[in-house]
Amino acid sequence: MSTEAIPAEKPKRNYNALFGLTLLALLVLLWIILSVATPSFASANNISNLLRQGSMIAILAVGQTFVIITGGIDLSVGAVVGFATVIVAMLINAGVPVFIAILITLLVGVAIGMFHGFGIVRMGLPPFIITLATLTSLRGIGLLMTNGNSISINNDAFQLFSRSSFLGVPNLFWMVILVGIPAYIFLHHSRWGRYLFSVGSNAEASRLSGVNVQRTIYMAYTLSGLCAAFVGVLLASRIGIGNPTQAEGWELQAIASSVIGGTSLFGAVGSVHGPLLGAFILATINNGANLLNVNAFWQRIITGVLIIVIVYFDGLRRRGK
Amino acid sequence: MASTAQELHPAPTLEPGRTILELKGLEKRYPGTHALKPVNLAFKAGEIHAIVGENGAGKSTLIKLLTGVMPRTSGDVAWEGQPAALATPHEAMALGINAVHQEVVLCRHLTVAANMFLGEEDSRFGILQQRAMVRQAQKIIDDLGFDLPAHVVLGDLTIGQQQLIAAARATVRGTKFLIFDEPTAYLTRKEADQLFTLIRRLKGEGVTIIYISHRMEEVFELADRVSVLRDGTLVGTRNISETNDAELVKMMINRSIEQVYHKEHFTPGAAIVEARNLSGKGFENVSMSVRAGEIVGLYGLIGAGRSEFVTTLYGRHRKSAGQILWEGKPVQVNSEHDAIRLGMALAPESRRDQGLCLNLPVGFNLNLPIYKRISSNLLISNAQEKTEADRQIADLRIKTPTRNALASSLSGGNQQKIVIGKWLAHGAKLFIFDEPTVGVDVGTKAEIYRLFGALLSKGAGIILISSYLPEVYELADTLHVFRRGKLVATHGFRTADHEEILTQALAEKQEKLGGQT
Repeated sequence: MSTEAIPAEKPKRNYNALFGLTLLALLVLLWIILSVATPSFASANNISNLLRQGSMIAILAVGQTFVIITGGIDLSVGAVVGFATVIVAMLINAGVPVFIAILITLLVGVAIGMFHGFGIVRMGLPPFIITLATLTSLRGIGLLMTNGNSISINNDAFQLFSRSSFLGVPNLFWMVILVGIPAYIFLHHSRWGRYLFSVGSNAEASRLSGVNVQRTIYMAYTLSGLCAAFVGVLLASRIGIGNPTQAEGWELQAIASSVIGGTSLFGAVGSVHGPLLGAFILATINNGANLLNVNAFWQRIITGVLIIVIVYFDGLRRRGK
Repeated sequence: MASTAQELHPAPTLEPGRTILELKGLEKRYPGTHALKPVNLAFKAGEIHAIVGENGAGKSTLIKLLTGVMPRTSGDVAWEGQPAALATPHEAMALGINAVHQEVVLCRHLTVAANMFLGEEDSRFGILQQRAMVRQAQKIIDDLGFDLPAHVVLGDLTIGQQQLIAAARATVRGTKFLIFDEPTAYLTRKEADQLFTLIRRLKGEGVTIIYISHRMEEVFELADRVSVLRDGTLVGTRNISETNDAELVKMMINRSIEQVYHKEHFTPGAAIVEARNLSGKGFENVSMSVRAGEIVGLYGLIGAGRSEFVTTLYGRHRKSAGQILWEGKPVQVNSEHDAIRLGMALAPESRRDQGLCLNLPVGFNLNLPIYKRISSNLLISNAQEKTEADRQIADLRIKTPTRNALASSLSGGNQQKIVIGKWLAHGAKLFIFDEPTVGVDVGTKAEIYRLFGALLSKGAGIILISSYLPEVYELADTLHVFRRGKLVATHGFRTADHEEILTQALAEKQEKLGGQT
C-alpha cells in the first residue's frame, strides 16, 4: 500500500498534512485504477453518485472525529440519523415550514448530544455505554412515533434539494464543504479545538491549566449530535421518507472513516480533512466494487481489511519516529 | 517479636558469605540526565542491605536496572559469578530477582489466591484448580503469620494488607534476591512488624534483601549493611553497627549547596494569599500566608498533607472548614478555574499524569493556559501562538528541536521547564510548585531556581513543596513542616538545622517506635 512510502524522517510534526496527502494519493490512485478497469466509473453520472454516497458518511465522520479526539466514542450517530429523518418528515408533513422543520431537527440533534455530555460528565458513564444506550433507545422511540411505518414526505422542493447540483457538483457534496470548512477552522484554529486535543491528551493537566474539561466534552458530543441530525435531514431529503431504522451501521462507517483518516482512538490525534478523505475512500471502494460486480458480501470484507492495513501502517509510522 | 527473630538469626555480623550479585561500573544515562553514575557494589547472600538516599538520588533507577525493567547504559552485572544481561523483567525473575514495589502492582480485581499464583496457575487439563490454589495460598499466608483470607478480592483489602500479599507472593517464586522499595510507606506499625518478621525469615532462608527506605529507624532495625546514594553516585557503604543516623543523613544531603541554590532575598510585600484554619481531605487546621516576593516552603514526608493542602487551595478539592483570603479579601475557590482567574498557578507533582499533554507539541503545552488571551473571539492568532511559544522556549532554554516537537520527546528536566514555563506567560501572582525538581538533574535544578528569583522580582509569591530538605531549606524564606496532615512547625530562612527539621517531620513515628522496641 502506498502509505508505506512516506518518509518517517525529520519533519516530525508535518506528518498530519503528509498523511492527508498520502490518503489523497490513495484516493486518486483508486480513481485512476477504476477509470481504467471499468467503462462507467469516470462518467459524470457515476462521479456525482459517488460524491452523494460519500457525503453523508463524511459529515458524520467529522462530528465523530471531534468526539474521538477527546478520547471518547459516539456510537449513536446512525440512530440519530434515522431518528432525525422521522422528526423532519413529521414536521414537514404537519405543515411546518421546511426551514423551521430543519432547524428543529438540528436542535433535537443538539439535545441528544447534550444528553450524552450529561451522561458522561454528570453521571460518570463511559462514552461507549451512554451512546450505546441512545443507539438502541432512539430507534425504539422512532418506531413508537411511527408505529413502525415509513413516513413519505410530501414536499417536492425538500426532496429536489438533494437531487440537484450546483455548478455541476451535487448539492450533497456542497454540504460537506459547508460543514468541513467551519469544522476545519474550529478544530485547527480556535481555542475550543485546542481544548479538544488537550482534554484527549491529558484531562487532568488540562483541568489544572484552567481548561473547562466538562464543557469541552459537552461540546464534542453536541457537535457530533448536530452533524448526525444534519445528515438525517439530508438523508430524508434524498430518500424522501422518514424511517427510524435507516442508516443502520453508519456509526461504524463514520468511525472507520475517521480512523482511516488518521484519528487515534486513544485521543488527541486527528484532523478534519483526514476523515473526509477516509469517507470518500470507503465510498469509492463500495462504488468500484459495485461496478466491478464484486459480491456485496466481499465489499464488507474488503472494508475490514482496509481498515486494518491503513491503521497498521499509520501506527508503524508513528512508532518509527 | 523482634528479639526472637534476632536470636534465630544472630546479630548483623558480616559473615563473609559468598557474593550473589556484583555490580561493576553499572551506569544509566537518560537523554540529558546521568541518573546513575558507575556503581560498584557487591551483595552477599543472605544479607539485608539497605539503600538510602533523597528523591532523585538514583534508587529507583538502580531497582529498575536490577529487575530488568530498563536496560543499563554500561557496566557489568555478575549473578553468582556469571555475567547477567538483566535485559528483561522475565530474565531477572528467572534468576530469582524479585521486587516488591511501593505501590502495589497486582490485579486488584482478582482474588488474593489468584494474585499469588498469577502467571503460574495450577491447572489440570486446562482447568484452573481454584480450590487447591486458595488452599495453598492460605497455607502460605498462615505460615507467614499474616491474618488474611486467601479467597477475597485483593482490592477489598487495605493498601497495607495488599502490600503484605505482594511480599508473600514474592516469596513463593524461588526468589533468591528480593528488593523492597519503601514497603512501609502505607503500612500501619502492626503491618510493618509483620513485614519485618517476614523479611528476617527470608534472610534466615538465605535470601538476599535490598531494603529501600527513607525511614532511618527501619534501616537500623533491619539492615546488616547500608549504602548511600546521592545524585546518582554511590557515596559509600557502611556496616550498620559502625555507623549512625547523623553520619547517614550527612552522607545523603552533603553537597556543594551554593552552586545549586541561588537565593535572592526580597523584602516581602503584602499578603497575596492567606489560609485561615483551612481543613480538607488529608490535612486539618492549617493557617499560613504567602506574601509578594517570598518563597514559602512546605516540607514533610509523602502523604503528610502538603499536596492535599495546596490542591485544596487551588480549588481541585473541596475544603471542609476554614477560609481562604486573596489579597485580604475572603474568596471562594470552587474550581481550578476560579483559582486561575484569581491569579494562582500550579505546577503539579506528577508531570506525566497532571502536568503535560505528552503526545501534543511543546508549543501547544506552553500556550495551553493562555489560549484565551492569544485568540481574538474564537480564532487563535497563529503569529501570537508562535511568538509566545518561541519566547518561552528561548527564555527557559528548553532544549527542543522546534516548538512542534512532541512534549514526550523531551528529557524530564525540559518537560519540567514546560510545566513551569506555561504559567510564566499567564501572569499569575501566586505560583505553587509541587516537587518541581523530582527526576531533574542538578543543572536544570539550578535553572529552575533562578526562575524562582525572576518570579519573585516581579512581585509574585511562591509556595514550594518538596520532600527534598536541602531544596526548601536553602530556598524558602518561611518553612512550614507538615506531619500527618498538620502543620507542626514553622521556621525562617535557615533558622533551624536539618536534623531539627527532619526530626519534626518524622517525630511521631520515632515516638511510636521508641514505645514499641
